[in-house]
Amino acid sequence: MDRLDWVVLVGYLVAIVSFGVWAGRGNRRIDDFFLAGRQMRWWAVGLSVMATQISAITFVGTTGQAYTDGMRFLVFYFGLPFAMVALCLTLVPFFYRARVITAYEYLEKRFDSRTRTLTSLLFLMSRGLSMGVTLYAPSLVLSVILGWSEAGTILLMAGGTIVYVGYGGNKSVIWTDVVQMAVIWFGIFLCFGIAISKLPAGMELRDALSLAQTSGRLRVINPSPSLSEPYTLWGGLIGGTFLMLSYFGCDQSQVQRYLSGSSLTQSRLSLLFNAFLKVPMQFLILLTGVLVFVFYHFHTPPLLWNSVEMRKLEEAAPAELPAVKARYEAALATRRDAAESFRRGERDRTGRYLAASAELDAARKQAVALVEKINGGRRYNDTNYIFPTYILGSLPRGLVGLVIAVIFAAAMSALSGEMNALASATMVDFYKRFVNRGGSDAHDLLVSRLATVFWGGFACLVALQAGKLGSAIEVVNRFGSYFYGSILGVFALAVLTPRASAAGAFYGLMIGMGTVAVVAQTTKVHFLWYNVVGASVVFLAGLALTALRRPAPARE
Amino acid sequence: MEAPGRPPSPDDQDPVPIFGTWPRIYTAVVVWDLIVMGLVALFQRWPY
Repeated sequence: MDRLDWVVLVGYLVAIVSFGVWAGRGNRRIDDFFLAGRQMRWWAVGLSVMATQISAITFVGTTGQAYTDGMRFLVFYFGLPFAMVALCLTLVPFFYRARVITAYEYLEKRFDSRTRTLTSLLFLMSRGLSMGVTLYAPSLVLSVILGWSEAGTILLMAGGTIVYVGYGGNKSVIWTDVVQMAVIWFGIFLCFGIAISKLPAGMELRDALSLAQTSGRLRVINPSPSLSEPYTLWGGLIGGTFLMLSYFGCDQSQVQRYLSGSSLTQSRLSLLFNAFLKVPMQFLILLTGVLVFVFYHFHTPPLLWNSVEMRKLEEAAPAELPAVKARYEAALATRRDAAESFRRGERDRTGRYLAASAELDAARKQAVALVEKINGGRRYNDTNYIFPTYILGSLPRGLVGLVIAVIFAAAMSALSGEMNALASATMVDFYKRFVNRGGSDAHDLLVSRLATVFWGGFACLVALQAGKLGSAIEVVNRFGSYFYGSILGVFALAVLTPRASAAGAFYGLMIGMGTVAVVAQTTKVHFLWYNVVGASVVFLAGLALTALRRPAPARE
Repeated sequence: MEAPGRPPSPDDQDPVPIFGTWPRIYTAVVVWDLIVMGLVALFQRWPY
């Protein structure tokens, strides 16, 4: 990075932390700290909801995924608008009128305290661990690409976030999210514009899209009814809707955002704002990744995107490496030549291009197999390194710093919402029930701040250890998907069925989580369907258990 | 316990700033999603 890039990046970080502290002044009670005094406008909350969902790895990983796999990931978001409408009609009014701070608090009002405690505990465990992974993933990418210290990057991202969230709570979270979202949107348009401007002379956007279409990168809608195939249309529409219902309806990191609205109308509008903008935004991010893919037809992409692993491979110097490199370079040249035919508008271009692409993929697969071999069989995936490599290699000075700032913005906006939500669940669902019920406002505010610092520190610890955890990271990610849908089932029982009992909800939740675990371990069903399974099983089991345990009518 | 099936009380009578009423805005969201999906389908099949 150039000096100007550093000035931009450091300037951004100092400005956002200072602004966060300034925006968060004036908290008197935990309602202020966790719900921004319930005074926020829909557009601010809506941007905050959006920013909390976008993590750095969403920004970097999605573009990389479009490069390697095309745009089919977009179907993941097709269910989001339906989920938002369903939530506005069901859960949001119930949460709002119950005047709760956490979503799980509502479950005690409706069922009993053990259902609240269990769901809140599940949230703390999964979100606490996943926040560490959210922090680790971009730090790893930036450390490899820029040569920064991994620990330093982790501490910088988390430290800055802890300062403003710990001081200002949700007010700071929401107002910094507004700024961070503006920076992210600017970064998305900038990267998209630059990707278009970097197309080779004589190649129009239409030619680039034709090339991407031939490679299959523009394929989004796959109507396959398969449950094991990833990102089918039905998986996106049904599984995606359930996932978004779970995330926006039962995950405190989102519920807390929209409960900060100054009225029910403001809370609803914040969600509907996302319903309108989310799919187009993801489309733009994915299309940028596709244009980066086209860009690397006319510029030389590295054999491996992770430069550290590439260096390791060269140092290990397996006997097959020179042949793999030669095959890769030959395939690149053939593919470039075939891609040129798109610029020239030749008719017989498709067959040649596809053959060259297949050869290139085969050469890269050989290289990946070599890396995995020298790493003792550990799976190698460098998708997240593609976009940062592109940024460093093709953006002018100053803008590199700005796009790195966008990655920081995405990371910090996700972290801030999660940190604040973890602190609220700790404080409201545990501390104020089991430790100190009658603390003064000043005492509660202090403990809330300490809880924020605790969860920020916990995320740092997980992130610092994540490199040694290896496949445990996958376990952490999988862990959440086991009960996400099941918790949605409990909330569905709460608001849709007047007769569901507390025992039905509690044991239904257990049965739902167990069923999802069995499905995940014994079948190849794609994870998007876990939420459908979990929610449906809990709902039906809850109803059945309620019917079974209903007391017999008293005899005359 | 609260009555969970209770219909929303009329505090959502606040003016809806765009589209005027809640049913209209919900319909607009659903229609918008369908239009976007249609455009995406067109985008992936367009003869560039």
